[in-house]
Amino acid sequence: MTQYTLTILPTGTKVVLPAKSRLTEIEFEILQKPIPFGCRSGSCGVCVIEVLEGSDSLGQPDDNELDFLEDLGRPGGDHRLACQCRLYGNAKVRPAADT
Amino acid sequence: MNCSGKRSSTHKKGDKKMNRVINVGYGEHTPERTPFLNATASAKLRTEIDEQLDQQVVEWYANVSEAAHLEGKNVDSEYYKRNLIETAWRIRMLRVAEAKALVEIAKVSPEAAQVWANYEQEEMLHDELFIADLEKVGVSREQFLATEPYLSTKLLSGYFSYLLDHEGPLGVVAYSYLVEYVNVKLEPRKLEALKGSVGESNIGGQINHSHTDVNEDHPGEVWEAVRHLLRSEDDIAAFKRYLREHQTILGQYFEELHRDTIAKAEKQSA
Repeated sequence: MTQYTLTILPTGTKVVLPAKSRLTEIEFEILQKPIPFGCRSGSCGVCVIEVLEGSDSLGQPDDNELDFLEDLGRPGGDHRLACQCRLYGNAKVRPAADT
Repeated sequence: MNCSGKRSSTHKKGDKKMNRVINVGYGEHTPERTPFLNATASAKLRTEIDEQLDQQVVEWYANVSEAAHLEGKNVDSEYYKRNLIETAWRIRMLRVAEAKALVEIAKVSPEAAQVWANYEQEEMLHDELFIADLEKVGVSREQFLATEPYLSTKLLSGYFSYLLDHEGPLGVVAYSYLVEYVNVKLEPRKLEALKGSVGESNIGGQINHSHTDVNEDHPGEVWEAVRHLLRSEDDIAAFKRYLREHQTILGQYFEELHRDTIAKAEKQSA
């Protein structure tokens, strides 16, 4: 089974997940909550992350996500809604609230 | 038992006193949100389940009369039409039970309930896709509405009610995993065959239905709900049993369909 590592700053927490796992899985893998999740459906904006490495590893955002990120003042390719991401490779991220 | 002869009725989990609220997703049995299966164990179990389903597909083709009929070059018109009619009725009846399942799922896992609600949102009105294809081959909405569903279709709906009343929502979700897995695997082959036998312009609704299953990764979506509903090894064993039982009932449907169309026509012409 292919697994990938998601590294979450600023703590450097590493979570290993099977390929294609939703990032919401990290809530069930570790006791800490390094990324806050709210609605888990891409509509509340709690889980915005800055992608530091491996943006291709999180899948492509759809138009709804891109529009919402723009509304949130986080346009461009560096930010994602974590609840809309799946892990297709190793990546390093940081909650936007920590930036 | 205390000195008054009454058993302690305080609602406790460990040493924690709790109020009387139950059925809110977390609580008396699962104070933590951590699923029984972690992500890796869930993925491994899914592989095992998919292997079981692959074997069930082999048994399906071996044991069900005319199981591959719609994948052939010559499709019996009555069989094709009636299968669409029953499919639309099945969606109509099961969506009621599946909505009831959402209530039961929300009582034990809000995560699973969210996934299930989204899945139902995408599937809820797909009966119209099949009714549209019926109209393309000359079966009006009035004819569809006047057709009594088969007993096997009613029994499947009844089995859902039994599951919800007496075993819980896992069995209902298991049905969706079975049909979504099989649809993604086999439906493209069937649709390619139907393009030749019935005509591509006549099966647009079924093609659209298949698009949703594949593009929205419906097997993966349903599995996410399953994963949160599995709370023990007994649940896993029950889930495997549900998959076999649903296939048995669907097999009964296809036997009834075959008897009522192809076999009946053969008998009449003999």
